[in-house]
Amino acid sequence: MSRRARLMFFAVAAAALAVTLGVGLAGLPSFGSQVSAYARMLNEVSGRQRHVTDVVSAITFDYRGIDTLFEEFILLGAVTGISVLLRPLSDETRQLPEDKAPDRGIPPPSPAVWLLAVFLSSLLVLTGLETVTHGTLTPGGGFQGGVILASALYVVYLGTNYRTVERYQPDALLESSDGVGAFGYVFIGLLGLMAGDVFLTNVVGLGVTGNPISGGIIPLLNLTVGLEVAGGFAILASEFLDQTAVIRTKTGPR
Amino acid sequence: MSVLAYGVVAWLFLVGIYGVVTSRNLIHLVVCVSVAQSATDVLLLEIGYRNGGHAPVFVDLPAHPGPAVDAVMQALALTDVVVGAAVTALLMALAVQVHKRAGTLDPDELRATRE
Amino acid sequence: MGLVSTSVLLPISVAVPLGGAALLAGFSWLLPRRARDLIAIAVALATTALTLSLVAASAGHPMIYWFSGWRPSAGMVIGIDYAAGPLGAGMASLAGVLASAALVYSWRYFDSARGRHHALVLIFLAASVDFCLTGDLFNLFVAFELVAVTAFALTGYNAGHPGPLQGAINFAVTNSLGGMTVLMGVGFLYARTGSLNLAQIGQALAGRHADGLVVVAFALLTGGFLVKAAVVPFHFWLPDAYGSAPTPVCVLFAGVMSELGLFAVIRVWDTVFSGLAGGVGPRMRAVLLGFGILTAVVGAVMALAQTHLKRMLAFVTMSHLGIYLIGAGLLTPLGLAGASLLVIGDGLAKSALFLGVGVVQHQRASVSELKLRGQGRGLAVTGVTIVLGALVLADLPPFVSSAGHALLVDAADEVGLPWMELVIALSVILSSGAVLRAAGRIWLGWGASESSRPDTGTADDPGEENEDDGRPRSGRRERVPLTMVLPPLALLAIGLGLGLTSGIEEHAVAAAAAFSDRTSYAAGVLGTHGSPIPPRGPAVPASPELSAGGVLTDLGQVLAALGVAALALNPRAAGLRRALAAGTGWLRRLHSGLVGDQVTWLVAGLALLAALGEAALH
Repeated sequence: MSRRARLMFFAVAAAALAVTLGVGLAGLPSFGSQVSAYARMLNEVSGRQRHVTDVVSAITFDYRGIDTLFEEFILLGAVTGISVLLRPLSDETRQLPEDKAPDRGIPPPSPAVWLLAVFLSSLLVLTGLETVTHGTLTPGGGFQGGVILASALYVVYLGTNYRTVERYQPDALLESSDGVGAFGYVFIGLLGLMAGDVFLTNVVGLGVTGNPISGGIIPLLNLTVGLEVAGGFAILASEFLDQTAVIRTKTGPR
Repeated sequence: MSVLAYGVVAWLFLVGIYGVVTSRNLIHLVVCVSVAQSATDVLLLEIGYRNGGHAPVFVDLPAHPGPAVDAVMQALALTDVVVGAAVTALLMALAVQVHKRAGTLDPDELRATRE
Repeated sequence: MGLVSTSVLLPISVAVPLGGAALLAGFSWLLPRRARDLIAIAVALATTALTLSLVAASAGHPMIYWFSGWRPSAGMVIGIDYAAGPLGAGMASLAGVLASAALVYSWRYFDSARGRHHALVLIFLAASVDFCLTGDLFNLFVAFELVAVTAFALTGYNAGHPGPLQGAINFAVTNSLGGMTVLMGVGFLYARTGSLNLAQIGQALAGRHADGLVVVAFALLTGGFLVKAAVVPFHFWLPDAYGSAPTPVCVLFAGVMSELGLFAVIRVWDTVFSGLAGGVGPRMRAVLLGFGILTAVVGAVMALAQTHLKRMLAFVTMSHLGIYLIGAGLLTPLGLAGASLLVIGDGLAKSALFLGVGVVQHQRASVSELKLRGQGRGLAVTGVTIVLGALVLADLPPFVSSAGHALLVDAADEVGLPWMELVIALSVILSSGAVLRAAGRIWLGWGASESSRPDTGTADDPGEENEDDGRPRSGRRERVPLTMVLPPLALLAIGLGLGLTSGIEEHAVAAAAAFSDRTSYAAGVLGTHGSPIPPRGPAVPASPELSAGGVLTDLGQVLAALGVAALALNPRAAGLRRALAAGTGWLRRLHSGLVGDQVTWLVAGLALLAALGEAALH
């Protein structure tokens, strides 16, 4: 199809789809008028049943915990897939950019920038840990906290340079964190079976509602997810940075 | 109110798809996919919304907090956000390689699998 | 006690591949290559064994498993359940068999990604198992997306070439949009019924008349799944992805992934929508059959027009998907049983074909039928594999596809559509004929080496798969490793073994009957009565005369496919070929490989499905 023909065809098809969506949306109850009995029940009982204050957390990790197991693997699959797609291919090599002026050393980052990076990354690490560990109490948890933790690495890169990040970047550690986090969720699920009950059953004490350590296995699952997400997003950053910074074609551009 | 609220869903979805169909740049195309995706999140959250409802977090609430909104839909939206992030990241990685290997980011210039 | 021990199989069959994938993804830097291969193969085989034992354990008695122990209380579903029957478990075990074959095949095939593709294959497998077993609509969406995410990455494995990259982008964009429509459908049904559980949604809708919201929810859900199933007009991404993905990945795609899309369409129809008031079944049958016929014929015609072997197999796959949709779309247990046996038998054969083509590509560095003319000498076993695979796709008895075909024909007769047999025969003959033509050219050197048709064939990409196997390459004519020759033969042998298993038709019909019985499914899941009575399947009309007739039909198809191949290779039929090529040029040009076109077709397809759904359900 020419672009013009495609646009005309799309205009017709999209109009028909708009009508379709309109019919569906018109069938919804009026906005803000009702909430399902299922949701009302969970809002009612999860505090009692799971000793949590954040009901979303109880749903994500307990009532519908198996969804979240697969969700975690969506992330693991994407991260693994991206490291496959962005691996150095047979006609590529990893090399740091050539120093065009070897007689002049790279100027060290200014102390102000360096200090800011140290300060911000520490703050991000603290916030990340806080978010991961308080998922049962307030909005947050492993996914959100993990992303914040990984972003600490971005700040280090901004405050220094890729050479520094590259030198200290613990690839194996990040990959292990990604894998251990994902495996941990499966393992906690299996604990339920080992205890003679079903998969993902709560096998530990529920704790006191309002304490960081409450909600049974929910904080543990948050920890595993936090590990996985932090490792995964750090790998993502390093894969994309590698593409711009160190991966070069061996024989010039194709 | 309903028309506006639900209309956003249809608008976001269609405008995102319009962007995908007409895009001349893969990065732009991937962002358009995310726009369409956000329609699904908005839909879920709107289905779970309740007038005057508070967040389903039962801590530091006033004496008579009233009803909470639907926590199930929020949990589903959270999952969907992760799905969206995963797909966006994968597409971006593909776009990086396409730029290197095909020398263009225009999806209409890609003719490797042409019939 | 016996029940407790078998139900443990359900979570274990996803925990094993997930755990294995997590360890491989996290510790591939620590493990030597051989260990990575062995672990991956062992995990895939274990998953296969687990799901096979589920087939046996759930026969006649669906297995329900509530995760985290949240059983329904006071009629309300709280958690997520697995609801396994032999049909779903059988589908899951097919995924296990094919994943195992793909992993064995890639033993010496490629490994520049440090074993990370093993992890992706295992995640794909776990997601497929979850997809087949889950009883929760949102969990089905999550599985859909997990299958998709790993599949996008695997498609682009050969990231050094534009073809796989474009295939992966088209695949990812169209299927992500499909995922979005599925999720919107989930949202609409939740807004209406307050539930995410298939059985409970079905109960809430049962006996009611469909209104606009239900029709739209149906169209969005089914449309999204049909994107994955590559049904016309949602199919345009399929040849791009399957034609450029690495061979072991094509095995998973052609054998399982598209079939999962159809599985979801039927599962959601049976459990959620089939109870709607107003005799919706027969009208919906017409809609599904329409899509099925179109897909079967378009796929077959396009297959014949290809000279790029993997693209040809992609269209063969698509044509067969149309046939499965015809079987399942009859909406009778007999039709579904026929389609299921075909999915198994054809899935094994298609995978053997892809693996065979992979061997040719590995040894001769080409996938162009024309360039490979007469190049088959020295690859005799692979030649036999490919010819046999093509004949099995034409329902050669006594392979299991032949049994499936017989059931499907009976099912079409049963609902008064005897001419459906002709549609199926036509598609099968054309698509198998295309593969046989290629085999004749490559192994016998028949036919012209140059294309008699002007504008066909995509660029042959010889280096595509060979460059990344991480081994120095000395001389093309080295011995083909046994790990590449044996898996396709093993797959064909399984198909033969199943075909020789007595009573497989009865088992399939019983499984399909249990699968399509909405009320007893809902009763089993929601526990509304203690132990559901296993539904009685209709008797299988398998009298000796009928079987003999079926065998004759099948042999006729096989001969006709050989005839098509002979005609396609005969120099005197060049004029006919040119005329056909000219007549189908417009269809080939529609497959432009441009993602913008593909998404436009997707939008049009959704709107079409909504209009048809309105007519069928309202």
